[in-house]
Amino acid sequence: MALSLSFFPIFSVLLLALSHIAGAATVIYDFNITWVRANPDGQSERPTIGINGHWPLPVMTATINDTVVVNVNNQLRNQTTTLHFHGMFQNGTTDMDGAAQVSQCGIEPGSQFTYNFTVKQAGTYWYHSHSSGQYPDGLRAPFIVSDPDHPYKDQFDEELVLSVSDWYHQEMQVLFPKFMSKANPTGGEPVPQAALFNDTQNLTVAVRPGKTYLFHVANVAAFAAQYIWFEGHNVTIIEVDGVYTEKAEAEMIYLSAGQRCSFMVTTKNETSTNYAFVGSMDTKLFDKVPKGFNNNVTGWLVYGNDKALPTPVLVNKFNDLDDFGLVPYDKKPLLPEPDQIITLDVTMGALGDGKPYAFFQNITYVYQKVPTIYTVMTTGEDATNPMVYGEFSNSFVLGHNQIIQIVVNNHDAGKHPFHLHGHNFQTVARSGEEAGDFDSSNSSQINYPAIPMRRDTVVLNRNGYLVFRFAADNPGVWLFHCHIEWHMSQGLIATMVEAPLEIQKSLTIPQNHLDACKAANVPTAGNAAGNTVNVLDLTGANAPPKPLPAGFTARGIVALVFSCISALAGLAVIAWYGSVDMGAASKVAEERRIAEMNQRESRDPVTPVTQATALVELPERSTQTAR
Amino acid sequence: MTVNVFAVPVFFVVFRETLETVVVMSVLLAFLKQTLDGPNRDLPTYKKLVRQVWLGTLIGFGIVMVIGGAIIGVFYRFGKNKWAKAEYIWEGSFAIFASILITLVGAALLRVAKMQEKWRVKLAKQVEYGPMAKLGCWAAFGLWCEKYAMFVVPFVTVLREGLEGVVFVAGVSFSVPATAVPIPVVMGLVAGSVVGYLIYKGGASSRLQLFLVVSTCFLYLVAASLFSRGVWYLEANKWNQIVGSDAAELGAGAGSYDIDQSVWHVNFGNPEINGGGGWGIFNAILGWQNSATYGSVISYNLYWLSVIIGFLLLRYHENTGHLPFMKSKTPDHQKVEVSSVENASGTSSGIFDTRGISSQTDPEKAIATVQALPARTNSE
Repeated sequence: MALSLSFFPIFSVLLLALSHIAGAATVIYDFNITWVRANPDGQSERPTIGINGHWPLPVMTATINDTVVVNVNNQLRNQTTTLHFHGMFQNGTTDMDGAAQVSQCGIEPGSQFTYNFTVKQAGTYWYHSHSSGQYPDGLRAPFIVSDPDHPYKDQFDEELVLSVSDWYHQEMQVLFPKFMSKANPTGGEPVPQAALFNDTQNLTVAVRPGKTYLFHVANVAAFAAQYIWFEGHNVTIIEVDGVYTEKAEAEMIYLSAGQRCSFMVTTKNETSTNYAFVGSMDTKLFDKVPKGFNNNVTGWLVYGNDKALPTPVLVNKFNDLDDFGLVPYDKKPLLPEPDQIITLDVTMGALGDGKPYAFFQNITYVYQKVPTIYTVMTTGEDATNPMVYGEFSNSFVLGHNQIIQIVVNNHDAGKHPFHLHGHNFQTVARSGEEAGDFDSSNSSQINYPAIPMRRDTVVLNRNGYLVFRFAADNPGVWLFHCHIEWHMSQGLIATMVEAPLEIQKSLTIPQNHLDACKAANVPTAGNAAGNTVNVLDLTGANAPPKPLPAGFTARGIVALVFSCISALAGLAVIAWYGSVDMGAASKVAEERRIAEMNQRESRDPVTPVTQATALVELPERSTQTAR
Repeated sequence: MTVNVFAVPVFFVVFRETLETVVVMSVLLAFLKQTLDGPNRDLPTYKKLVRQVWLGTLIGFGIVMVIGGAIIGVFYRFGKNKWAKAEYIWEGSFAIFASILITLVGAALLRVAKMQEKWRVKLAKQVEYGPMAKLGCWAAFGLWCEKYAMFVVPFVTVLREGLEGVVFVAGVSFSVPATAVPIPVVMGLVAGSVVGYLIYKGGASSRLQLFLVVSTCFLYLVAASLFSRGVWYLEANKWNQIVGSDAAELGAGAGSYDIDQSVWHVNFGNPEINGGGGWGIFNAILGWQNSATYGSVISYNLYWLSVIIGFLLLRYHENTGHLPFMKSKTPDHQKVEVSSVENASGTSSGIFDTRGISSQTDPEKAIATVQALPARTNSE
């Protein structure tokens, strides 16, 4: 069913553009999170998570320097929830970052929680649930921050919001146990059933000729990256993940899950035809694609309502623009040599329960008993010791204002989009596929660009590497993780505890947050195991299943030995049986049988062969008296 | 260089399959030779039964070729490996069936071995020419099996081993050059046959009882291994269904087995990969698995337990004419006869009566007609 682009986002953008004239405002959102029913691709109605009784969710908007307040009321009844504002630095407000069991406790059903933060960055962002793989059930939407001093503000006439996504017909609580099970040892992710533009299909965007439109595009998918292109039009990229860039013209762009992009599209000067624009899911990571699967979603730039909506043309090759070459508008130079280099090798494999897990440096992430931020707040000087956060929170402590370099080596044959909370980062090196591990002594690999591209979610190629740098100028607890929701739930997460002592000095946890923890029965003090007395004692901290046994366990040895003994006993009995005589009763029975045989022969000789007869006993005459 | 004319996995697989088959064949043939071609020879029966053994083998082999050819043909034609889906079910059920068959035949052989030679001949003839008409359905089937046991046993064995071998060789032949297949196949057959011939020669010339005990022990080892492997195959098949299409990618590492059913899993000693090499033979004869399940281990132990109990019961029945706690099925006079025999010998009447009873002290009328036939056994 064709759906016109909702005018709501445009309206709200204009409204807020007006409000900035009055100075930095406070934008208040009251969100009641409930279940609603929806059928975005027209093929399957299903429960989805709505806000204030509606799905698709409202696009959040603000102007730079605004204070945003979001009052979340969880009326889901059967799931906890949180909200994370993807791309927001949350400088000084790390407890508003929304990562469940990291920045806060999950919001229990019936509980209320308030997010309150100032937006100091403009661009295209999005907000989504950050609790137990929940957002693919629908709790995600774009978040646009407008900028009165936008560097390209004179070059576009209108702003539009376009979200692109994958879509599943089943709820996460149904898909997840099937995925994370010993029956799925290769970790094959469930394949989505459809792709969506603005949470619908057959989207039409009314455009006027000879105008330039600024599209804010966000990929709010759980899993699939998308190729996006406009037939008959090129796009001019001017922002990625909230970082303005120099103009970069492209025929096609690639957005992984979590990435955003703003580009300008200049419409044609005549209105003779409408044009299609396409989002095509990257199926390289898809496990088994069912027959008749359509991985594309189409929208139309409608120049004239009376004209036909053309079918998009099949494309032979994806020629998307490599985002590595984008140059930030502020021309921020390469950060100096790093003070700390963290190397993370990505692997995937099974643990002792047979389920497929994902690992950074052989550690799979497990949520700890105390949310990490509360451990920071209550462990005093020991907060600088990564041990207190638990081995399986995969924590690294970063010094305040240090230059941090993270090297990610992909030992998995799949692309991963990695996202760092609380920062954007300079991407200084990214290899192609199959390039192996990063080797800092290899001169061809350390040819870093003088002005590196910056964003907060970046793709790592299969069996290749990625190197990025950022300054630890934002004290807080920031997760670094793959933004494929399936991999996140497999444990592909690391924690950056940035300047913990500074956090202690500057942060006060609101009572509202502590009340949410009380409602959830989650402790808010102590180390990862909840130990407030001896924070270096991690007994009882949450841990993953043991690895698969490497060889013979005690059970195996016992089984093998016992089997050998049974076999030997059996052979002994056979040998014994074979060597003894027939046994009294059998002898008697055999003699009878042979007697009967002889009698039958004498009565009724059947043996034709002459030789045999020589052996036949003389026939008994007195057969009748045998008994 | 050897890779181009000699694919080692093919050799090991063919050798292993041939070995299992010839063990069964040569034991049967040696038994027949000793029994029917010895001093009490009955050449026609001997020849007939030997022909049964060979017919069973060759017909089985022929069918294996036909079915194997059909499977390969379907694979080439339709690109579908229909066999792969059913393979484990086939192998598993057939292994269990073969195991039970060998178990029964082994016990029968041992029993028959205890009789004096003359009786064995008679028994063979009786089985050959005995009346079949008036028996009930099951009894007739039982008698038919007895009559054609020499055909059925090698037939079933060849079917099982041969099909496994043919399919494997065909599969390997897709990935190695065609020139590397014929020689190892022939060498495997030859090597297996040589071993079989040695067994036959050794068996035909040694004391029958010793030969039979040794070879039956061996046969039972093979039967135990078949039983355990049958259960393993059926479990592996169930697991492959659960994992679905990804099973092929997993090879033999994590995920290729059900962790909840695993008793041990080691990454060496896999009897399936590349023909298995020595481990494959270990697997064939002794049932070794590098990834053992509760099913395969328990079934192996249960098999031996059943065999032990079976033989003990058999011995008890032989001694007393009935199973423990059950009434004797034999007519009264015979029971009296038995007890009198036992009393006369003055030995304890436990079931492990190993001392031979030398003579009848009080022959009944039933025995009178067979007076000329002393009840002596080999133990004397």
